[in-house]
Amino acid sequence: MSEIGRLALILGFACSCYAVLSIAWGLRTGMAGPLKSGRRAVWIVCGLTLLATIVLERALVARDFSYRYVAEHTSLDLPPYYAASSLWAGQEGSLLLWLLILSSYGAAFLWCYRKRFDPFYDAVAMVVATVMIFFTGLLTFVCSPFRILATPPADGNGLNPLLQDPGMMIHPPILYTGYVGFIIPFAFGIAVLLMNRTGTRWIEEVRRWTLFNWMFLGFGVLLGARWAYIELGWGGYWGWDPVENASLMPWLVGTAFLHSVMIEQRRGMLKTWNVVLIVLTFELSIFGTFLTRSGVLTSVHSFAESDIGPWFLGFILISSTAATALILYRKVLLESENRMDAVVSREGSFLFNNVLFVALTFATFLGTTFPVISEAVTGEKISVSAPFFNRVNVPIALALLLLTGIGPVLSWKRATASVLKRNFVIPAFVGLLATLTGIPFGLHGVYPIVCVAGAAFVLATIVMEFARGIQARKDAEPAAPPVAMIHLVQKNKRRYGGYIVHLGVVMIFVGVLGSSVFQKEAHAPLKPGESLAIGPYTPTLRGVEEKQIKNAMQTRAAVEVAQGGKSLQLMHPSKAFYSKSQQPMTEVALRPTPAEDLYLILGGVNDDGSASIQAYINPLVSLVWLGGLVMVCGTLIALSDRMRLKREEKLLG
Amino acid sequence: MKRAGAALALVAMIAGWIVPAVAAESAGSRKDPARAITSQLICPCSCGEILSGCTCDTGKAMQGFVTDALKSGKGKDEIVASLVAKYGEVIRGAPKAEGFNLIVWIAPFVATAIGFLIAAFVLRRWVGRRRVAAQALGGVAGGGMIGAPTIVDQDLARLRARAEAELKRMGE
Repeated sequence: MSEIGRLALILGFACSCYAVLSIAWGLRTGMAGPLKSGRRAVWIVCGLTLLATIVLERALVARDFSYRYVAEHTSLDLPPYYAASSLWAGQEGSLLLWLLILSSYGAAFLWCYRKRFDPFYDAVAMVVATVMIFFTGLLTFVCSPFRILATPPADGNGLNPLLQDPGMMIHPPILYTGYVGFIIPFAFGIAVLLMNRTGTRWIEEVRRWTLFNWMFLGFGVLLGARWAYIELGWGGYWGWDPVENASLMPWLVGTAFLHSVMIEQRRGMLKTWNVVLIVLTFELSIFGTFLTRSGVLTSVHSFAESDIGPWFLGFILISSTAATALILYRKVLLESENRMDAVVSREGSFLFNNVLFVALTFATFLGTTFPVISEAVTGEKISVSAPFFNRVNVPIALALLLLTGIGPVLSWKRATASVLKRNFVIPAFVGLLATLTGIPFGLHGVYPIVCVAGAAFVLATIVMEFARGIQARKDAEPAAPPVAMIHLVQKNKRRYGGYIVHLGVVMIFVGVLGSSVFQKEAHAPLKPGESLAIGPYTPTLRGVEEKQIKNAMQTRAAVEVAQGGKSLQLMHPSKAFYSKSQQPMTEVALRPTPAEDLYLILGGVNDDGSASIQAYINPLVSLVWLGGLVMVCGTLIALSDRMRLKREEKLLG
Repeated sequence: MKRAGAALALVAMIAGWIVPAVAAESAGSRKDPARAITSQLICPCSCGEILSGCTCDTGKAMQGFVTDALKSGKGKDEIVASLVAKYGEVIRGAPKAEGFNLIVWIAPFVATAIGFLIAAFVLRRWVGRRRVAAQALGGVAGGGMIGAPTIVDQDLARLRARAEAELKRMGE
């Protein structure tokens, strides 16, 4: 069977090369035949990659240890569902997943535009196929997942315990769907430059693809944070780890693009800037894969390090140089059609919002890579971790929070004094009120105060926008407020979807503030019957037991949590020791409520029989997860705007 | 507008609920001295985690070291210095702002400031050009030469055409 997989990848490489050459020939000569043939080749690459994936999945589930990849990442005692998800546990499998998603995007793209016989779309497919050459080549010639062992072992090495979590079964595919999907906006951008294409139709298409990928990447990042919260057992969910940063950076630049693209759509401005952002988003996606795979930086996510880093670095260098050269060559094509009317306008605020998003990305990029740069220059090893990012990124993020409220309520072109007064006086008052309410209760520190004021300000602007819209709809057609609200959102899904996304952002900010600044912690070695105090809770150790679970030996503590003398719940923080990998894993016990999470960790069992219990109270952490879901809902609403756009296009010719 | 007022009152209430809920925690949450130190350090083993939340054996041993050092009367700087002397600068979660490492502290803010300056400069230039263009065409709001189409007029004509198309659609 491994030959089938290997052959599928070799054919995939050949078809990718053929697709690029055939489409390039068709574009040059204007002949339809080579274009059609090239498109078919993209479809075939998708089919071949699927076949290769099925072959590897079959081997993983069947624990066919003659495959080196299967022997390295699974074992006989591994449950079948984790054996199946081992596809993305290692280097070669992850790259195969990359290729599968990439070729699926290529096929999906061709399916979406199957009725549009415009060479521009063939050029987009050609760019996608070019990237497919890199990945099929890598999997064929550098790190094949179908390498066979001369003497298969009786059992495999097992799966990294960190990956033996239900969250890990969905987090990487969702994250990759976002990461890899940025190929389509990138391909659109490059195709526009290659084909000397003007007009704004393509930019709406790019916006939609970007929004789709942005949603998946954001959701994937959030799932990763949730996984870290539950699996890594340090009381938090975001540690500014290099790989976390790598997933955040394309998301940040993608967010900047989604804002600035509105200026291009409305005013025909910032064309060069938008193409730069598209290219940067894609390059940062590849950079993220490079960071995860190269092992150049220490990370809790370095599951699959190898020597393919230079290949990725080479790809990034070549693709970014080619894109930059194209942008410079087509400078005239990207010139703005309009000029700004006033600095105080929505365009102006979006421009500053872009500066902040890019600054945040730059700070994250610099902090992430600085240990390598510093060691190369000074020879001394240093770390750049959460203490740095919290000091540098938080003020920039807070400025962005404020702009989240300011931008959408400014008028396009020019915001007059009366508009400013109408839109900002009440939100500013609400922000002030929230801050003043908090201070007597002990709210302290510049950042928390700015965060509370900013969040209340943004929330007020969103509510005001909805209230005004509902009132306007009620004036037009009498209806109950909920019905009017549904009609309002239906009439302008893009705008109100955006507001809902902003609401999610506010929730995440408040959740992060609550769970970081106001986190409480207590730890103590406890013997059965002993308690520790944390906030209103009194966790008491009732006992510790050891038992065999699936493929690990688990040490589990029984901790009874009481509040005000009343028993609330028996919680079970545990530690599991995986004999295959000789690694211990912490399994936290959670008591989530809307207001706060009680988070218990079993540090270990001491020689005197006591158990080290670490307890955290994470206030408002639920808002982080809920905010993420709200953002996804808002994005889905904004994405469902297609029908209205089509209608408008038809009306306006 | 009454509903807008009611909605705002709701926002104020939510804000009034969240802020005290968060703030009430703050009094007890101010970091204890040991956590203030360990939250700024990295575990020196290969786990790469912030020391305050690290649950590995090395991390736990170092947390104990910091607690014991504080009990023995040592100050924060003294404790950090002794750990840096033992494990190297790599143990600091954020590099010391001196020498070459100053770059990582300064560059993000300098880049942000430069970004703002460029954005402000570009905006000023665009707005300036727009005014010049508008004046050349006879005013910004139709107040110029009779009969000369202004930029605003052109925009209005476009919008009027769009509105007419919408009305036509609604009439169908």
